[in-house]
Amino acid sequence: MASGVGVNDMCLNEYQALKLKKAHKYIIFSLNKELTEIVVEKTSSSQSYDDFIADLPETECRWAVYDFEFEKEEGGKRNKIIFVSWSPDGAKIKQKMLFASSKDALRRALVGVAVEIQGTDYSEVAYESVLDKASRGH
Amino acid sequence: MVQYGGDEVSALVVDIGSSSLRAGYAGDDTPKSIIPTTYGYHRAEGDEAMDVEGGDATQAPKRVKMYIGQNGPSMWRAGMETANPMVDGLIDDFAAIPPLIEHALVDVMRCTPSEHPILVTEPPWNTPANRERMAEIMFEEFQVPAFYIANTGVLNAFAAGKGTALVIDVGKSMASVTPVVDGFVLRKGLSYSPLPKLVQAHARHILVTPTPMRRGIELLPHQLIANKTPVDLNAPPRFTLREERLAGTTESWRQWAEAREVDEWIQSVAGVLEQGWNDQLAAQRPPKPYEFPTGYNTYFGGERLSVGEQFFYHPQALVASNPNLPKHLPALISDTLRSCDAELRQVLSSNVVVTGGGTLFAGFVDRLSAELTRSFPHAKIHAPGNPIERRYGGWLGGSILASLGTFHQLWISKEEWQEHGKAIVGQRCK
Repeated sequence: MASGVGVNDMCLNEYQALKLKKAHKYIIFSLNKELTEIVVEKTSSSQSYDDFIADLPETECRWAVYDFEFEKEEGGKRNKIIFVSWSPDGAKIKQKMLFASSKDALRRALVGVAVEIQGTDYSEVAYESVLDKASRGH
Repeated sequence: MVQYGGDEVSALVVDIGSSSLRAGYAGDDTPKSIIPTTYGYHRAEGDEAMDVEGGDATQAPKRVKMYIGQNGPSMWRAGMETANPMVDGLIDDFAAIPPLIEHALVDVMRCTPSEHPILVTEPPWNTPANRERMAEIMFEEFQVPAFYIANTGVLNAFAAGKGTALVIDVGKSMASVTPVVDGFVLRKGLSYSPLPKLVQAHARHILVTPTPMRRGIELLPHQLIANKTPVDLNAPPRFTLREERLAGTTESWRQWAEAREVDEWIQSVAGVLEQGWNDQLAAQRPPKPYEFPTGYNTYFGGERLSVGEQFFYHPQALVASNPNLPKHLPALISDTLRSCDAELRQVLSSNVVVTGGGTLFAGFVDRLSAELTRSFPHAKIHAPGNPIERRYGGWLGGSILASLGTFHQLWISKEEWQEHGKAIVGQRCK
């Protein structure tokens, strides 16, 4: 079941720029005012993970992709693209419903996402828990 | 393509449960019309021999006078029987459904169903035949311009902001555990049982069984009591029965009314210990007073907490003596999780959504949390604090979804129904 909300072309363009050209570190997605389309809210090349967290509002839903870089235990760097569905407990029920039922449209458009995270509070998107998920099995 | 513009007229949302039927406008945050699903009826004259059990009643709906809504079953009428079209959370007697929906939409909401698209909810274990029948009723009897049927498991997960979640839904007659993954129910992992009925039976047993401390309690509803005089704590009640009504009181109505008294008692007095059963802890909890319609009043101590225990634990002896005992919640949850792979199990247990009126039972969420974290230390429970959201989560989810302008792509239009027939329901409503 899905909401029928569409995905703006810019979402895919910016995602390709992140994935192929490494032009961004992360992208924040949201819905347009009319609630008909998923749009890019912000792109950033900040290397600070805290900046990324700061762009996830306390009481509003968002989606995000983040080009996550980490060291393997046996040495060597790895990059993984993570997808975050941000739906904080404090958000309004209508927005939660809207974002949860529209996620699939965006998620299907983004090919190459390695890790998916459902975040309802900041502990679930903290660097350590993301690192734990990203490094599992590799 | 759908002919009408999705946001020109507001859609209606109908959510049918064992205890109540909820209906209202999409976009609202509470249903406008909440009526009991149980209805009263009189058999037509000269039809005394008609068997009203199961499907037989459906053969002659016109010969039966129904009493529906707030003044339906709860008003005493001589010779009135009661019935409920639901069996194990599914619609069993479809003949009663159109009058119930019509009452909610036309009499209570004063709207014209043929002018509004209607979204109906269904439990995760609904059958294809059942949902097709519902589509048929909506298109053929109510002449709706568009229809959609949505799964309550998915609606509740979405309303909690989750595409993937373990939805624990406890209603009036059924308890279910539904794994929802990316907006779809994982059917092989679905578990459910008529557990709430066991809880009710246990509560009833406590009340009617005499103890050394008190007499067996008469579950007389206020409709059968003419007057009563206040009595002291634990004193025998002093009341006068409405003798003239006794002869005209049917067995089915009496059972319905008594079950309501038990429910009232459960809601005001019963509870569950947060950390599992412990005689000492139960004895330490403050006893709660309760007055019955007869005027009899007493305090209930530890026994009131044993009621909730039925949700979570069944003693060996009980299980051995009753092979058909409904599974308790920890068993349902572990059945569900066992059928999912390890990675998914982790995700589901950290995204537990609790919904349904039965979960408002005092202490329920705390106990559930204790049971879950025993096996899954990272378990996280999402339980709306607002009782309306908890009780009507499925309706509310449907209300939001059906109010979206973009949702019009998903509606099944009347034209599509006429062209494709029943097959379209399964294709569109996944």
